[in-house]
Amino acid sequence: MSRRARGDEGMDTVLRVEELYKDYSTGWRKPPRTALSGLNLEVPKGSVIGLLGPNGAGKTTTLKCIMGLIRPQDGRIWLFGEEGVDARKRRSIGFLPEQPYFDLYLSPRKLLAYYGRLAGMHPSDIKAKTSYLLNLVGMGEEADLTMDKYSKGMLQRIGLAQSLLTEPEFLVLDEPSSGLDPLGKMQVRDLLESLKGGGTTILFSSHQLSEIEEICDGVAIIHQGQNIASGGLDELLRSRDESEIMLEKAPVAPHEGLPASASWTDAAQTRLVVDKSDLNQTLRILTGSGAVISEVRQRRMTLEEYFLEKVGSRGWEVGQ
Amino acid sequence: MRAVGAFAWSVVQDALHRKVFYAILAFTVILMLLIPLLPSAEVGVQIDLLREAALGLTSIMAFLLAVILGSTIIPGELGRRTLYNTLSKPVQRWQYYLGKYVGIVLVVAVSLLFTFVVLILFVLIRFSLFNPGLAKALFTIMLEAMVLASIAMLASVYYSPLVCILLAGLFYVVCHVKGDFLYRGMTDAANNPLLRALSGIGYYLLPNLERLNINETIAHGERAFRVGPVEMLLLSAVAMTFTAIFLLLGSYLFSWMDL
Repeated sequence: MSRRARGDEGMDTVLRVEELYKDYSTGWRKPPRTALSGLNLEVPKGSVIGLLGPNGAGKTTTLKCIMGLIRPQDGRIWLFGEEGVDARKRRSIGFLPEQPYFDLYLSPRKLLAYYGRLAGMHPSDIKAKTSYLLNLVGMGEEADLTMDKYSKGMLQRIGLAQSLLTEPEFLVLDEPSSGLDPLGKMQVRDLLESLKGGGTTILFSSHQLSEIEEICDGVAIIHQGQNIASGGLDELLRSRDESEIMLEKAPVAPHEGLPASASWTDAAQTRLVVDKSDLNQTLRILTGSGAVISEVRQRRMTLEEYFLEKVGSRGWEVGQ
Repeated sequence: MRAVGAFAWSVVQDALHRKVFYAILAFTVILMLLIPLLPSAEVGVQIDLLREAALGLTSIMAFLLAVILGSTIIPGELGRRTLYNTLSKPVQRWQYYLGKYVGIVLVVAVSLLFTFVVLILFVLIRFSLFNPGLAKALFTIMLEAMVLASIAMLASVYYSPLVCILLAGLFYVVCHVKGDFLYRGMTDAANNPLLRALSGIGYYLLPNLERLNINETIAHGERAFRVGPVEMLLLSAVAMTFTAIFLLLGSYLFSWMDL
């Protein structure tokens, strides 16, 4: 497909990554380490996509390629419907690197002013935006203190603030909750939710599966430099082979003869998971033993179960 | 140009927070003030000795600042990972590279201006002699510092600060002795073609930094020959050309560097 055609097609896609390859040199006469081996990824406009994967899977390398911090050996990246990564496109992207570091002799206000100048913002905009963002991330009172005495979590908040400085259309966040206390994690979740509500497209990597499950519309699981599973959360987590039976009233009579695939998921015996092939037989037994069935649905896996199913079956080797 | 200015100003701010900057500056001024205590400071040549030694000290200060800053800025920012935040902003890598270089030049220029004022006042108070001609020597020191900073920054794209400082030191030595040593190597080493070839390459490709050293001439009041505007323009052109080449090369390599 031509570059032009791909761009037109991608108007509703903020990011499209195709067949990305990246090797890192490990030293003279040593084989290179493969970080990405044909990675594909797509982030639709307005969506929140979580990037999952074990350590060394290639998540940070992917994000760095998207930001133009490293160059892939092969592959293509489309941003906002156009191929390539350049400074002009970065005007519309906010980036939070993993464990952000700053010149610690600066205060957050001076740091954000510096980044604002780099982004070509007007001084009055910088001033207004800086105060707003520092208050937003809960650092308004410490805005004029130098950062050398800041904790890891406080620096992470400053990192979030700087990523939002240019009111980006697309946010790329590498472990945004890293180093934050539970309250901070909750605030980040709320912040991402409100940005999502405002139409910002977000791609973020995280090890916090619950965080991803709560915020994201979709996930991409990266393993050994490849995207091994991606899509909408509902679509991915819906188990194709199992049904979940919800009971309004637990069985009163002994219910012997349940199929081997059936298992209770709670102690009160109000939820039963069973293979689809055994569903009819199970329903007959349950109704026969006095249970009142309130709902039968396709079982939804937890993200953790799905992640372990996908990654666990392929081993945990880091890189190659 | 706004981004270049912001990067340059960040270097000045960074230098102002480094103790080594003040230490080098203070050490230079203190040694300068101690020159009259040298046993060889005899009546009659005192002023020449003072000027020559002071300009020598100033050169060392400027070269140290240029090489230390040039060698440490990129590896330092890479090591501290502050580059990730900076270069994810809507800036080009050449803007970062040029801005940081301009910042180094600003720091060296401010330091030279400071020592110049100290030196002028010192000569005026001690010898009742106003000697603005010293500015010419300081200008050529600045030119040489610019070349050294550009080569140190070029090396810093790939090497650690220590290796960069050593390489810049080697560059300084070779470029100061090239007029004599490399010329002889190129012409006299008839039995060793490799040595002849290497000497020839070095002779024609490297700048002759000794030409930029006019400290002695200025210190002795330009009695032997005057350093006129044409000479200054030529020296500036040579230094600027080599600086531009090293900056272009460094900027190109930096633009391909994985962070």
